[in-house]
Amino acid sequence: MANFKRPWPGIEVTVPVAAAMSLLLSILMLVSGCGSARRTEPIAGPMSVAAGDLTQGRKLFMKTCDQCHPRGEAGLAPALNNKPLPAFAIKFQVRHGLGAMPSFSKDDINDQELEEIIRYLQALRQHQ
Amino acid sequence: MTVGMRDLLFLVCAVVLAGCYSMRGSEGGGQTAYVPPRQVNVSDIALPAGYRIEPVVTGLTFPTAVTFDESGRPFVLEAGYSYGELWTAPRLLRVEPEGQLSVVVTGGANGPWTGVVFHDGNFYIAEGGELEGGRILRITPGGKIQVVIENLPSLGDHHTNGPVVGPDGWLYFGQGTATNSGVVGEDNAAFGWLKRQAKFHDTPCRDIQLAGENFMSGNPLAPDTTEKVTTGAFSAFGTPTAKGQVIHGTVPCNGAVMRVPLLGGKPELVAWGFRNPFGLAFSPNGQLYVTDNSYDVRGSRPVFGTGDLLWRVQAGAWYGWPEFHGSLPLDKGNRFMPPGKTTPTRLLAEHPSTPPEPVAVFDVHSSSNGFDFSTHKGFGHVGQAFVAQFGDMAPGVGKVLAPVGFKIVRVDTATGVIEDFAVNKGKINGPASWLHTGGLERPVSARFSPSGETLYVVDFGVMVVTDKPLPQKQTGVLWRISKDPGPASR
Repeated sequence: MANFKRPWPGIEVTVPVAAAMSLLLSILMLVSGCGSARRTEPIAGPMSVAAGDLTQGRKLFMKTCDQCHPRGEAGLAPALNNKPLPAFAIKFQVRHGLGAMPSFSKDDINDQELEEIIRYLQALRQHQ
Repeated sequence: MTVGMRDLLFLVCAVVLAGCYSMRGSEGGGQTAYVPPRQVNVSDIALPAGYRIEPVVTGLTFPTAVTFDESGRPFVLEAGYSYGELWTAPRLLRVEPEGQLSVVVTGGANGPWTGVVFHDGNFYIAEGGELEGGRILRITPGGKIQVVIENLPSLGDHHTNGPVVGPDGWLYFGQGTATNSGVVGEDNAAFGWLKRQAKFHDTPCRDIQLAGENFMSGNPLAPDTTEKVTTGAFSAFGTPTAKGQVIHGTVPCNGAVMRVPLLGGKPELVAWGFRNPFGLAFSPNGQLYVTDNSYDVRGSRPVFGTGDLLWRVQAGAWYGWPEFHGSLPLDKGNRFMPPGKTTPTRLLAEHPSTPPEPVAVFDVHSSSNGFDFSTHKGFGHVGQAFVAQFGDMAPGVGKVLAPVGFKIVRVDTATGVIEDFAVNKGKINGPASWLHTGGLERPVSARFSPSGETLYVVDFGVMVVTDKPLPQKQTGVLWRISKDPGPASR
């Protein structure tokens, strides 16, 4: 967390501001969650992973994320493809685990691997 | 008063993500109201460009498998039993050229018939054995039923599966476990079998030493509904165990792949430590693979978040049940802890070995079942495994936030990458009955025609899930997927 940049320079993050931001983000995500998360080949056509060097990210996603978020869609856990979570929020969620999601330590997924996963996920999100 | 970025992020993520799971009800694919008749409409199914799908047979009751004779004619198997404890007559049916069905043979009340293979003039059927124990049956060209092997430990949650004929000419089959995770509990009474077989439990293939962990539960066998009992691992309901206690292994056993000569005889252990090795197939280079249905969130030792697995079978290896998911121990951190419950505790004093890495990890609760390998360039994806996903049985197996499975996926066994292949159209994935369309319901098996040009998909039909499964008769479909010849050649 030490490397996180402040995303809203100049805004003092007080409790009311934090609550307001939470509410705004929640609404944003709930609204954006209304879009379909389906990105797979039968629905959206083939996705090239070679072009963006996403091969390793896809492999890691399959090993660690796909079982709960199948192909980025909802399953055991919520869909990822239709939610504009920024990279730092994904990292936070992965490292700390919240709700039913377990935490993944750097022994489970190292920082480099997490970057690869996020890059693949962001490309998957755009594929529609 | 100010809060740090960490606190802010925590708050946001907690509201948006954590709330999603704990605050929402289960949305399983079976959690729907079904109004017959089942609709069948290929335009409701999405495939990659260049492929087409068509129904071959409709109106089947609990179909589970398909095979082909020497002329390439398809034969479909009806199980004769379904979860939800609905019994019908198991049947092997010949599919005539115009789609009519002829009965080859009808079995007794010992289903479910879970798999069939045609080899050298005979059919070999895995009889699940819910009432009398599992069997492998041979159906002769004259329609006579002969027993290849019997008394397999199939009286519990999972059954005798397969079979396939190996390159060595032996018959390979899977044997599922009696329980979810090694301990007989109230969930097994809900399945139906505990009241029939109060002493039945899992049998290991090799000697194991217990950690002595015991589990208290209600006693559905007692007239007093408040009575409690204590049960240990690999033991009958209500039988506690002690630390260091040895449970002797034997073959046949539970959670194993075994093999037997085609003419019958003593079974041999191939590998063990599976949970429910449902699908078995040899790859084009002769390597045996199995699909393995992973743990549920139920019973005395519920396990959370374990996707079904595709294994490359190594002779003699132990694959981790009931202590691991893949190569990860169940007592590792909070990974497998159901929300609001505790992490599964260790059952064995010593593990037989560390399990191998799985080839692929499927969606949690997808029930990834029968599969086959593509061998024909004309169909494409040569060497990849095409896997039928029956779909979740939530909420009984655990909660899901959206339907899981109900499709055909393909797996690159070199990388573990899973791609959807045949899915229902719609904003969300799900079975046709949930989407109110005419697409796929519950694919349970996929097998290529002998030429390799066509993939047959066995669709079990509608199964609604309320407080128990409610399978619907005469809703099964046999589908066929092939390369679209294109407008010019139509």
